[in-house]
Amino acid sequence: MLRKQTYLYLFCLICISYISPGQNSIKKTDSIQLISLKTHFEAGSKIVLRFSSLGKNNPVLYCSHNYGSTLIKPNIKSPTVLSYEIPSHLSNKSGMINWSLSSNNSSISGQLKIRPKTKVHRMETYLGPPSIEAGGRDFTMLVVIPTDNLDNPLKPETPVLVKHQFLANETSTEIKTDQLIAFKNIFSPNISGRMILSSESFGKNSKEYDVNIVPAIPTNFTISVKRNHGYADGNQITSFITSIIKDSLGNTVSDGTYVSFFIRNKKQAILKTSGTTILGVATAKMIHPDQEAYWTIKAYIQGISESNTIAIKYTQVITDFDIQFSTNNRTITVGPLTSFMDQMIPDGLHVHLVLLKGKKEIGIITKTSKDGFVKFNLAPGIYKKDTYNFQIRAAGITKNRQAKKIW
Amino acid sequence: MVKNRNILRALILLSYVAITLFLVYGVGALYSYLNTGADRSKMLHTELKKIEQYLPELTWAPLKNKGRQMDDQTLSEIENDYLDAWYVRHVAYKTNLKAGIDDYYTESARKNIFSIIKQNKLKKITIDGTTLAHHLTLDFFSEDGQLVVLTDKNVLEYKRIYSNNTFFLETYETATYKIILLLEDGFWRVRHLIREDVSKVNRFNTRKIDATLDIKGINYYPQKTPWNMFGKEFNDTIIDVDFKIIKTAGLNTIRIFIPYEDFGKAKVNSEKLKKLKQVLDVAHTNELKVMITLFDFYGDYSVLNWTLNQKHAIEIVSRFKDHPALLAWDIKNEPDLDFDSRGKINVTSWLKRMSVVVKSIDKKHPITIGWSNAKSAVILKNKVDFISFHYYKKNVNFKNTYASLKKEISSKQIIVTEFGTTSYKGFWKPFGSSEDKQSKYYKYMQEQLSEQGISFMSWTLYDFTKIPKEVVGKLPWRRKAQEYFGFIDKNGKKKPSFKYISKD
Repeated sequence: MLRKQTYLYLFCLICISYISPGQNSIKKTDSIQLISLKTHFEAGSKIVLRFSSLGKNNPVLYCSHNYGSTLIKPNIKSPTVLSYEIPSHLSNKSGMINWSLSSNNSSISGQLKIRPKTKVHRMETYLGPPSIEAGGRDFTMLVVIPTDNLDNPLKPETPVLVKHQFLANETSTEIKTDQLIAFKNIFSPNISGRMILSSESFGKNSKEYDVNIVPAIPTNFTISVKRNHGYADGNQITSFITSIIKDSLGNTVSDGTYVSFFIRNKKQAILKTSGTTILGVATAKMIHPDQEAYWTIKAYIQGISESNTIAIKYTQVITDFDIQFSTNNRTITVGPLTSFMDQMIPDGLHVHLVLLKGKKEIGIITKTSKDGFVKFNLAPGIYKKDTYNFQIRAAGITKNRQAKKIW
Repeated sequence: MVKNRNILRALILLSYVAITLFLVYGVGALYSYLNTGADRSKMLHTELKKIEQYLPELTWAPLKNKGRQMDDQTLSEIENDYLDAWYVRHVAYKTNLKAGIDDYYTESARKNIFSIIKQNKLKKITIDGTTLAHHLTLDFFSEDGQLVVLTDKNVLEYKRIYSNNTFFLETYETATYKIILLLEDGFWRVRHLIREDVSKVNRFNTRKIDATLDIKGINYYPQKTPWNMFGKEFNDTIIDVDFKIIKTAGLNTIRIFIPYEDFGKAKVNSEKLKKLKQVLDVAHTNELKVMITLFDFYGDYSVLNWTLNQKHAIEIVSRFKDHPALLAWDIKNEPDLDFDSRGKINVTSWLKRMSVVVKSIDKKHPITIGWSNAKSAVILKNKVDFISFHYYKKNVNFKNTYASLKKEISSKQIIVTEFGTTSYKGFWKPFGSSEDKQSKYYKYMQEQLSEQGISFMSWTLYDFTKIPKEVVGKLPWRRKAQEYFGFIDKNGKKKPSFKYISKD
């Protein structure tokens, strides 16, 4: 007895499982029956559900789709047929519609499958990232959603042709839509430049998209020096110039790549200057020192690459200078300061005057040269009448004048 | 004459002061009104807090998507915006207004919603809907992080459709959707939404329990903290003492109440859960069983809040379903009293949903609904495991009331989960009851219950000093009467009725 029941139950289960979606699962009732048996439609087609009805009332049809639900009133053409037209804003969208109709004591329900049209109207295309690195490791992704004229994504397995051009290469590959979209990863070539992409499906072409192929990371480079002369005149400018910086594939790095130059002098102090590349070459500048110097220079693209180390030497130009005291010894004139051809040194050389009382420093005055001379004035309000030691420093030379009395 | 003049002077002076005060107040109020919203921090929306307004059950399938690898941060942003997209759509169809749609649907997707709103508005159709469960799979994430494809399997949707403001139909459907979302202006917006499969849910697969309970019980609140059992003054020693009294009186069950808001609504407060566990533990050590009444003081049954309600229930039920002291779940206390103010359909469909939720989690314990009278007890009789109702009418009519209910529902056990009477007599009810009358009432009732073998729970152990106005309203004669329903008076002295607290 028990076994019989179990079989009966199993049989029922199997029966139920045979009712597949897309079919009308109709509960048969006496009063209302579905006449129109078509359940699959193409988007945009007119869908009318017709029922034979013996009842006198005109029930309203409930119907629900992708974005929402609504109620539809019947259109009565003959007293025994109720017809319901699915509104176009629902029937235009691909997907599954379910409906149900109930009157007095019976209810009937079903489903309609709407498939997208087969003709492509638009190739909705998304491309990103917009710039990738040369060398074949980096890639950009092209995502295409082919849609029909009612904005429905096309059915799965729709073929999409992805076309891309780079220099002399023009390739096209076929991919298929899956999960509403088709996508392809496009890997970078070895050469920097611009790649043009587009897609096509059933003869419908997308617009043009482009991707920048930027050079890969820079490799090590060399630097050189350019200067007017090798004298430490504190006036001329030395330029440091890199070789054409390239990536490992020979592409010149992008303009604006930042290069830092580190200069180390004899005292191991560091001077820093920098430049950005134009056509692969970065130039940085530094003013000449005002005294003998020996510089070692090395450039870096920080964290990425570096240059060789070069060394340059600056020779001393000022070997000696005069110091004259006048006006109660309160005016000290330093000069003439002469350069390598005995010409007056260009304006701007720093000269320091240090006043000492015994060994204790009382004041330091710094001035820059003008027309080869520097004149210090010791104001009586600040420096009282007394005897001081003087020390003058310029271009790396220090001269002392002991026990000068000012009044 | 002089006196009159002085009075007149005083009056003029006072009225002058009054007018000045009024003017100052008026100008002040206007000034402060005009200044509201001028807060700079508000202008920048820096203090925007996430309000929990829509929390359906949601699961993500393990991530095996094509394209870019997904990170947790982005995934939670997608989840939030996707759920918000559903929420704004529910609101839009409920009100037939477009608010919020622009934020969560791309320009071409929102057209579809607007055309439905337009049509429904024209035909005067409104739809009160929600989704109760989502099962998401991430299919694809684009390399630039701007596009995702999702599959949402078996979305459980509830819709209640009104035509011309009258209820037309309610339906549960499960549907599977394919969704494309695009990241625009910081929002993940729906670009395509395609329903791939749908089926109507005719009945939920829930378990059935043939409960035969032998309850001799009482509704319990501590004397000092009625209707606020889990508040700051929670003290499990007091509860332990009370439970011992209950146990020695020959009872075996208590009925307690979980206030919905006090327990933190959708985000259940863990402190409160701890206190509830203590109560259950104490009951267990005293060999008492506990019937837990959910959703106390909750009165809003709106469909858009269902997700929050079910989350609340899921958290509590799943936490205590295996507790040895648990006897049964009472979904809601006296929901029939809300029929007038909230609409019967709102209340009953809410009750149906919550019963399904509780049953789906706790497969062992029976559920019931604590109807306020025997007449309502037939509502949803097929959805509960046993019937329960409250009886506060005359004790002599009890026998007939019970018999006629029994006739209607023969297949299920019927339990009286609240009954009792006040012993109050005083200023507000000069010819009211007395402790003697109360005792007689219980004696009679216990005879009836005993005779027919009916499980019962009386109201209540103690007389209370303070009744919150939410319980019986503001009217003093009702509040006063409510204070004297106990078997034990305010001073801890047992009333004569205590003798009849239980069956022999």
